[in-house]
Amino acid sequence: MNSHRKGTPSARFTTYIDFEEINDGLTTVGETVPLRPIDVPEETNVDEEKIEPHLLPGEIMIARANNVLKFAPLKANRTGISGTLFVTNFKVSFVTSLPVETKERDMHSRSLQNRFLGVHDVCLSEVDMVNQFSEDSAKKKRLLYNTQMPPRLSGLQLVLKSLRVINFSFKFTPTGEDIRVAQALLHHAFPTSIDHLFLSCGYAPSSPGIPDFCRPADWEHELQRTRCPNWRVSKHNEFFNLCASLPTVLVVPRDLLDAQLEQAAQHFQGTRPPVWCWGTPAGAALVRMAQISPSITDKQQENRMMGLVHRCHPMRLQPKIFDLDQILPSLKEIQISYIKLRELHTPDDPTQFWEQDRHYFSRLESSRWLSHVSKCLEVAQNAATAILHQNSSVILQDASGCDLSAVISSLVQLLLDPHVRTIRGFHCLIQKEWVALGHPFTKRLGHTRNQVEEQSPVWLLFLDCVYQVSLQHHTALEFTSEYLVALWHAAHCSLHSSFMFNSVSAKYSASDVLQRENPQQPIYLRPVWSWWAENKSIIENEQNGSDEEPLDCKTSAREAFLNVHYIQKLFKSLAISGAVRRISDPLSSAYHTWQHIDCLMGETRQLPYDPATPIVPLQLDGSLRLDTSLSNLRPWLNCFCAWLSEPAMLTLNDSESLLKDSSPASHHWSHIHEMYNTMKDLLSQNLTNGAAQ
Amino acid sequence: MAARGQRSAKRRSGCFLVMFSGVKPDKRSKVKGITQLGSRSSSSSSHSSNSNTTRSNSSSGSGGSSSSSSNNKGGGCKSHSGSSSGSSSGSGSPPAGTPPHTQMASHESLNSESKSSSLNSKLGHESGGSPSPPKSACSSTSTTSTDHHHTNHQVSHVLTATSKMTVRDGSRTLRPDEPPLVPGEQLEGTAREVTYLCPYVGPKKGTLSVTNYRLIFRSPETDPPFELEVPLGVVSRIEKVGGANTSRGENSYGIEIFCKDIRNLRFAHKQENHSRRMVTEKLLQYAFPASHKLPFFAFGYNEQYQERGWSVYEPIAELKRQGLPTESWRITRINEQYELCETYPAVWAVPAAASDNDLRNVAAFRSRGRIPVLSWIHPESQATITRCAQPLVGVSGKRSRDDEAYIQHIMDANAQSHKIFIMDARPSVNAVANKAKGGGYESEDAYQNAEVQFLDIHNIHVMRESLRKLQEVCYPHIDNSHWLSNLEATHWLDHIRCVLSGALRIADKVESHKTSVVVHCSDGWDRTAQLTALSMLMLDGYYRTIPGFAVLLEKEWLSFGHKFAQRVGHGDDRHQDADRSPVFLQFVDCVWQILKQFPHAFQFTEDMLITILDHLYSCLFGTFLYNSERERIEKEVKTKTVSLWSLILSNKADFENPLYSANTKHHVLFPRTSMRHLCLWDKYYCRWNPSMRQQEPVHIRYKELLHVKEQLEKHVDELRKELAARQTHDSPRVASAIV
Repeated sequence: MNSHRKGTPSARFTTYIDFEEINDGLTTVGETVPLRPIDVPEETNVDEEKIEPHLLPGEIMIARANNVLKFAPLKANRTGISGTLFVTNFKVSFVTSLPVETKERDMHSRSLQNRFLGVHDVCLSEVDMVNQFSEDSAKKKRLLYNTQMPPRLSGLQLVLKSLRVINFSFKFTPTGEDIRVAQALLHHAFPTSIDHLFLSCGYAPSSPGIPDFCRPADWEHELQRTRCPNWRVSKHNEFFNLCASLPTVLVVPRDLLDAQLEQAAQHFQGTRPPVWCWGTPAGAALVRMAQISPSITDKQQENRMMGLVHRCHPMRLQPKIFDLDQILPSLKEIQISYIKLRELHTPDDPTQFWEQDRHYFSRLESSRWLSHVSKCLEVAQNAATAILHQNSSVILQDASGCDLSAVISSLVQLLLDPHVRTIRGFHCLIQKEWVALGHPFTKRLGHTRNQVEEQSPVWLLFLDCVYQVSLQHHTALEFTSEYLVALWHAAHCSLHSSFMFNSVSAKYSASDVLQRENPQQPIYLRPVWSWWAENKSIIENEQNGSDEEPLDCKTSAREAFLNVHYIQKLFKSLAISGAVRRISDPLSSAYHTWQHIDCLMGETRQLPYDPATPIVPLQLDGSLRLDTSLSNLRPWLNCFCAWLSEPAMLTLNDSESLLKDSSPASHHWSHIHEMYNTMKDLLSQNLTNGAAQ
Repeated sequence: MAARGQRSAKRRSGCFLVMFSGVKPDKRSKVKGITQLGSRSSSSSSHSSNSNTTRSNSSSGSGGSSSSSSNNKGGGCKSHSGSSSGSSSGSGSPPAGTPPHTQMASHESLNSESKSSSLNSKLGHESGGSPSPPKSACSSTSTTSTDHHHTNHQVSHVLTATSKMTVRDGSRTLRPDEPPLVPGEQLEGTAREVTYLCPYVGPKKGTLSVTNYRLIFRSPETDPPFELEVPLGVVSRIEKVGGANTSRGENSYGIEIFCKDIRNLRFAHKQENHSRRMVTEKLLQYAFPASHKLPFFAFGYNEQYQERGWSVYEPIAELKRQGLPTESWRITRINEQYELCETYPAVWAVPAAASDNDLRNVAAFRSRGRIPVLSWIHPESQATITRCAQPLVGVSGKRSRDDEAYIQHIMDANAQSHKIFIMDARPSVNAVANKAKGGGYESEDAYQNAEVQFLDIHNIHVMRESLRKLQEVCYPHIDNSHWLSNLEATHWLDHIRCVLSGALRIADKVESHKTSVVVHCSDGWDRTAQLTALSMLMLDGYYRTIPGFAVLLEKEWLSFGHKFAQRVGHGDDRHQDADRSPVFLQFVDCVWQILKQFPHAFQFTEDMLITILDHLYSCLFGTFLYNSERERIEKEVKTKTVSLWSLILSNKADFENPLYSANTKHHVLFPRTSMRHLCLWDKYYCRWNPSMRQQEPVHIRYKELLHVKEQLEKHVDELRKELAARQTHDSPRVASAIV
């Protein structure tokens, strides 16, 4: 043992077996799996001191530990891979020359942060819990940022917010390095303030062409697109003087003077006045409103604002008010459910996995997560019905006006507005409802260690609701549930400015702080959507011996993120007689359908949409209906079990690969590609023809 | 008669229309699509489906679940138009547009109408940029129509036959209110003014007819009329509800019918009509022929099919396919007269090293003489799966040198491994308990090189109880707030998981360890059949084809004596018989779970599984009748009844999985067996419940994709030709450069 700690060469880059501290798994369920070391070429001449992590500009290495063993969760717990563990101010990086597992590679290729995080890297803000394994006891113990470190760690367990578990063993690590790494991790993963996170990496992000809803023009476009009458854009919040959680621009009733707006704002929690976020040409508006401040007893201003919403309706219909605090679970309940879900999906060893699995359904039910999803869908459905069938405006009211109202408002739009079901529209929706209108991501997702009691994964709840929509309407959404999973994972990467801040103003001030600290460096805050516009990885990937083409990676990610059945639907409208003939006529619908397909499929196009084309006006011709009863909802295994593979009961792993090959979408895709190529062929000939004439 | 075909057609077109309220359907394109797919549809048929459209449109309104559509959703109820005649072949089956019954001349147009409109509904589903709000209503409606698949299926196939008959002899014309009958079926009694108390849509008044095969209920109250038919084989028990003097209140006097396929039917009679007695008598008589010393309906059913299903399985041919005989395995006819073991088939494959005398000695030591015989042999490693019953060890721990030597022969037949696994399907406690009854399990001391493993699968009584609980949870109403925990409390999926992971373990031993496995439970005809059949399905792609699956069932289930008659209780009125148990259903559920995880690996779809299950109970075919091969030979089942495989092989297109890729044949499937990856087979268990939303199967979407592609390519081709023609005309030089 001691000789190992000094780092004998034989301990380097080999595979270790039988990590007895962590698990002794399969005894109850399966027979013992024969221990087989992975055949690894011996690389004795690598000097570990020369191994360095890939650092982004501005990223600093804080601690390193050599000869660390990394254990994949459950399946290969008995075999760890050896490498060097680094903690930087951005990530936990594990550097090894051993081949990467297929699962990890797959997940990496389908993540929105793969441009700046390697396969073995984990962004610090993704870390949810750190547990220690000490030498004397087999039990794990949670480490908090202020926990006293034991003199020696035998292992660390990271539980990530993506419900992934990674175990590291320091069995062969030189003494002292283990503690240093752990301390650095605890210190930097749970900062006191958001601007201590690594928010900017010195590369300018490519523009994804998504409006950020901080400019008057963006809201004016939205008003024009929805053709919702009697509302106006107010710039009265220009310096966040009115309300810190709202953007500088907001949409308010046309009859409301800015002075009145200011007066009204004082009466609401967070001085947040009601704002318009969507509407229909018939005049039904969707309004988000905070509760009246607890210190204010009279409801005069609230009534006044409701009266204004009422007056905005061209037919003077009474608005419907949904008091979400009354009808939906509280933030606390959502968080409690999430913690139960996390427990259920982050087992330590195969024994625990199978033990939980036996009662998976009842545990899932007792977490009440699905019942929260069901309630949200139901409320959204009711609100959508009110707008669509009764043409009445809907006021969504929740405590601060930026949590559950964001969920419901987004879902209502998803159900009613076909544009929102496209990738571009969905990005706009998130940008508008979540980013611009100030969902407090920092607090809710626990990016800092303050305000732990404010944590609540409202964002995940929303994504799960969208997942249920995608299940029930498989051709309706342009993106897949894989993309929703990626969006959940992306919310924990500090380089994605979209999901890091409590509000637009918080983002500005964080940016100011960073600028002050590094006056020489330009500060770039990158929206998550930039991923689509970038082709190249920022970090080079030559580590891990991977030589994959970035383009390939993008193609596979596209196939994972784009809904093949949606594209099939587009092709179907081209397959009707005469449509092909009109395809080069810019006035025909076939032309637009083809442009749409070309954006989604074309390899030369960067984005799955054309940011230059104007968004078509809202047409309420295809609303979705949902079955919201619990028996019709499904647990979101793709997300909850994204990293959790069933512990192997077998000696062969062929089944995994066959499973993957047989994903129904792959067959679909090959036909879709063939159709696309046929059409392209035809079009190129058409052009030749035109030229000839 | 063919009114029946219309029924689903109407329903489907109805839902298609509901869906389109609010969306502007591109009628032209749709009709075009229809004509192309359902190639025989006449113009009148598409016209009629369009007119339907308007009607349901207006009745549905915009609020979602419309009255007309919900009427259609009754508990396994159907509606039909009752206007004209014709029969539908594809009506129930999702692969619309497949014309299995080309020979039906006179009813062609209607037939294709039903097809085209079912396509309609499908197109409607996918079409338009955006589904309208009533979509959910419509998809649950179409769900309902898929709910009835199986019945539709069986009925439609059978009906086709009737129509063929009618055409053939031309002698018989049906009165409009007389239900269409299958060949051999007779109307036995009719009661009017009966009310069907549907748990979903409320009471329906109509006519109840009983034939020697089915119960048919029709209510003209709604438009389209409401229809329900149940093969009497499905009936498990019939109870009278309310006495003549005690019944008060509406609908309290009548009968309740409990079915084996997870539903109950309640009918109310009018006391003054005195119709209940006749109906009950007839029902009892024809639902339980075995208890009344009557023949099964299968012996009267005389449909002609193109394919002869009885020849799908030839024991010798199947063993030859597996490569037998080999150096170490021989084929023996020692049991030709079923003397050595009466529940085993006539032909066995046994280790070549064992003499006939050895076999006799081993039989004496195995429960009911069920000795280890070959189920499957690995084509490369020669590792085998053999099946048997428990050894007769008893409390005293008896041994048999012959049995030990025999197991050794099985091990030696596989040169790759010096070990053999004995998989005892039971929980070890049960295996020990069996010693008291003279049974038990192999001790590792006695059997050198053998390792005994217990697979923890519970006995038939536990399974029966589990299914009973499952039915309570699924039918008639689902308690949404406790759905998942209620489901878990039935332990149904837990049992499925046990069976699957047991089979997985066997497959893993054979495939990855190249080690032979002996499988047994107590008698070797329930859990053993589940395990061997499932592991063979995982190991050998042949069994995942349609004929291969038939072979698998014929071999592992029917020939090796799974007691279908006892377990299902065919035609028997002792509904509390402790020998009944859903062992086979459980197996089919496991197959479905694997199919769901590997959608490309199976040549058939779940529709075939549902059809098989429906005919497990229907007694329309001879396939599942009786307990063993011997009994079936005695009763001359093969000559006097029709095989279920005749139906399936003659209508293969209806069951084919478009996603199937034949190169998966060489793959071994290792399904995931954790609870979270198992699902309740709602398309089977919850099919009567219209509130259960079912996913449109991927294979239907795929079929549509192929169609879209074909259309697109056709249009592109046309355009190309036109272009080329124009260019030749304009400037021949350029054209030649392009073409």
